[in-house]
Amino acid sequence: MGKKRQKLILLLAVKAGEIMMKAGAEIYRVEDTITRICKACGIESVDVFAMPTGIFVTLDNGDEEDSTHTYVRRINSSETDLNKISRVNDFSRTFTTTDMTVEEGMEVLDEIEKERKYPVGVRVACASLAAGSFSVLFGGNAIDFCLAFIIGAFCYAMSRALSHLDINFFIRGLCCCAAAAFFALIAAASIGSADYDMIIAGCIMLFVPGVAITNSIRDFLSGDMVSGLGRMAEAFLTAVSLAVGAGIVLKFWDVFGGIVL
Amino acid sequence: MIYLLTQFVLALFATLAFSVIFRVPVKKIPACMVVGALGWITYIIAVHYMSSPIAGCFAGACTVGLLSAICARVFKEASTVFIIPGILCLVPGYKIYSTMFELLREDVMGTAQTGLETLLMAGAIAVGLLVMGIVIGLVRILVKKAQAIATRQ
Repeated sequence: MGKKRQKLILLLAVKAGEIMMKAGAEIYRVEDTITRICKACGIESVDVFAMPTGIFVTLDNGDEEDSTHTYVRRINSSETDLNKISRVNDFSRTFTTTDMTVEEGMEVLDEIEKERKYPVGVRVACASLAAGSFSVLFGGNAIDFCLAFIIGAFCYAMSRALSHLDINFFIRGLCCCAAAAFFALIAAASIGSADYDMIIAGCIMLFVPGVAITNSIRDFLSGDMVSGLGRMAEAFLTAVSLAVGAGIVLKFWDVFGGIVL
Repeated sequence: MIYLLTQFVLALFATLAFSVIFRVPVKKIPACMVVGALGWITYIIAVHYMSSPIAGCFAGACTVGLLSAICARVFKEASTVFIIPGILCLVPGYKIYSTMFELLREDVMGTAQTGLETLLMAGAIAVGLLVMGIVIGLVRILVKKAQAIATRQ
């Protein structure tokens, strides 16, 4: 097997892993996909070490003349995108069972990588629906639903705008949660039967790292300690940013609210 | 009964919304909604009878894990596609926030209590999914063995 072909296989496998990791797949699924793709191309020994922030792959064909190829891919951002996970999963199944060439595989992966999320308008509408539903699931009433619906839409749109401007995730969470708390307090002060706690609870469900903390424990349970720690730290930092945002607004409201209203 | 029905409908909505945000393929969104809503209903019933949110999370996660595995089989899809939206109603997102909020208010006892409960709930969900994964794996192996024996005879 030529060195060039081995390099192409390595690039293909790392790309598949990168797309999956960026879309928020589990560690074992990423490692499994990379290993399967390499083995399907006839590479004898494959070692993968994947973390949420990077993927390391080493290929070796075992012969004395063959050289060892290693690839390190840094992963910066990640955003949950289940369609990409599902498509790369399909891809690895077809790649390993049919005789698709490496070049064709690369084209398919390029196409998957270019996919965009649903339109922003649809996502904002859904985010507001989620905020409203959660505020009632946590014990709010119909008025809380309507208010959380409106405030949730605003907060989600704001978070999209801030992430478009490449603002750090800590500041983003802080600003969004502060806005949610501020509008919830105003709404609760002007409408008697609304409960600001329930509205805030509904709105911040859009940003809280519940899935991140559950996934981090799933990583721990499957033996990926480093990834578990990483995701746990991310979850805690996000939670701190949200609490700081809401905390600042509630504190200021306590101090100044009485004077203004 | 009406209470359960409203909760079911709202959980359907919440899961629908997050399925769109997480970009589940359009054809699988209805299945995700049902998985998420049934998980939440299991949680409510379990909390009602066992009066512990941790046990509730475990029961809910078991339901989600089982249904996700079935859906994954039926739709020939990675089970993550159903698990992530499905556990969204159960995950202790608000609890993490209130833990940090109590920390900011310098309420150390409150922080410890809520924080521990958060970790245990997240752990219960993870263990529930893990247990279901193992059970389904065992069932699959047993079915294969049974088929092998049946074809031999």
